Amino acid sequence: MSAIGDETTLRPKIAAYLEREVGHPVEVGPIRRFAVGFSWLTFSVPVSHIEIPGEGGKGEQTRDLILRLGPDYGLFAPYSAMPEMLAMRSLEGSAVPVPRAYWGGDDESIFGAPFLFCEKVEGDAVVPWVSAGEPQLEEGYRKRLAEQFIDALGALHRVPWREKPIAELERGAAEAITVENAARHNVEHWEAQIARWAMRPYPLAEWGIRWLKANCPVAPRVAIVHGDYRTGNFLEKGGDITAILDWELVHLGDPHEDLGWVSLPMYKGGTPYIGRLAEPEWFYRRYGEQAGYTVDMESVRYYQAFSLLKLAATHMAAARCFEEGRFNDMRMPAMGSQIATCLKQMEKTIDAAGATKSGKHRATGASAS
Amino acid sequence: MNNSFPRLIDGMCATLRREVLTRLDDEFARGQVFGVINLLNTFKVRANWSAGFLLQQIEAQQRALEGAAAAAQRASLSAPSATRMNKADPGAGAMSIEALLERRDANNREIGTWLEWLDAKSVELPAGAAQTIEQLLRAAMRAEIDLELKNSPRPLFAEMSSGREE
Repeated sequence: MSAIGDETTLRPKIAAYLEREVGHPVEVGPIRRFAVGFSWLTFSVPVSHIEIPGEGGKGEQTRDLILRLGPDYGLFAPYSAMPEMLAMRSLEGSAVPVPRAYWGGDDESIFGAPFLFCEKVEGDAVVPWVSAGEPQLEEGYRKRLAEQFIDALGALHRVPWREKPIAELERGAAEAITVENAARHNVEHWEAQIARWAMRPYPLAEWGIRWLKANCPVAPRVAIVHGDYRTGNFLEKGGDITAILDWELVHLGDPHEDLGWVSLPMYKGGTPYIGRLAEPEWFYRRYGEQAGYTVDMESVRYYQAFSLLKLAATHMAAARCFEEGRFNDMRMPAMGSQIATCLKQMEKTIDAAGATKSGKHRATGASAS
Repeated sequence: MNNSFPRLIDGMCATLRREVLTRLDDEFARGQVFGVINLLNTFKVRANWSAGFLLQQIEAQQRALEGAAAAAQRASLSAPSATRMNKADPGAGAMSIEALLERRDANNREIGTWLEWLDAKSVELPAGAAQTIEQLLRAAMRAEIDLELKNSPRPLFAEMSSGREE
């Protein structure tokens, strides 16, 4: 936190920045950090006398903004605020509920880290984990949330992203994402993360990477992929989903990737439902209707195996961050203790996928090399 | 066992001091926390990870690596060089925890080399030999994971995310 400072030292910097952006004096109240997440820091920032372009609202009334900062010591650091900001801007006015992104950038001279200011949306998070004996979600509430959760994902995957700010992610990339190379790109990205963060060799992860590279599916389309779409990453109020959050892993890719992630057993909360919310068969059918393509269950299984590797990589990074003293948060070594669970589940998923695979969708040129 | 034992103890003590004691006013409860910190520091100097646990993992690895080398030899192919080097190592039973951890990791690196070798030799290797070697390697990888899982308590993610125990 040294480059960023604490809540007290951040406050005048925030006021100075906002005044430059809106062109008039503002007053920043005491800021509060949310105790969530292992990567980006999230603060609630009360601001008075602010007029946000396109929203009006200048006056005595205080409004809360959210400030996200990506410290250089977090999981998978260094960060860029651009993907999240571009995604949120691309989804403004769409059927995907997202907070409005106001300002952001990667200039560390301002707050000591990449940053993003966005709207604060009302609501609470439904967590995917439940303790023994905890009651499940009430049926009507569960189904109502499930419908919105599925429809938002379908809407995300049919966004014409080439006409949106997020198309900027393609510029400067060494290779454009295509339906043929989307899976390979992703596997190579996470292979590099494992090489960077794992503290010891995990041959089962290497074996999984080889299988994933040798069995890349062809995507039905290139879509905006959230990258962490699950229960726990949306807010709800009175049974309505008010915002889909945590866009830091957003990228372009195969929409099946989000299906693989959302359906991980870790997020079922002891129920048979995807994300504690939806019967799997209904989930895929409704999602397919919303997204406008037929869900390929071979691809879903492929991306479930991939997601388990990705989750294992996240736990490997958590263990390293803790070991190196970047954090003392005891949840991180607890996450680190789950690497074996993820790899075991990955192996089982690959074995099951291998047993049912038709080979009809394998991308040309995919190999294990 | 992905973090070192001393670092876990340091992390627990730091968390208790910075995150728990700073929010705890009750004198008796604070005394209990200091008692726990004292014991954790005792564990740090007197305890370490279990050698038995590591020995079982290493035994499974060695069995797989030796079996893979024999299968390669039967197919008249030379094994990856790392395998031959390990045969001169001292017995695992006499090693310190640090040396055992190093051995486990070295064996895992070697299994990785074998996986690479299997891909490279896929044309030359008779199908039966390739399958045997892969099964041996996977048995070792699975044994390592299964031993970790067998020695892990139920995770408390719900409690960690909510701060409550139902």
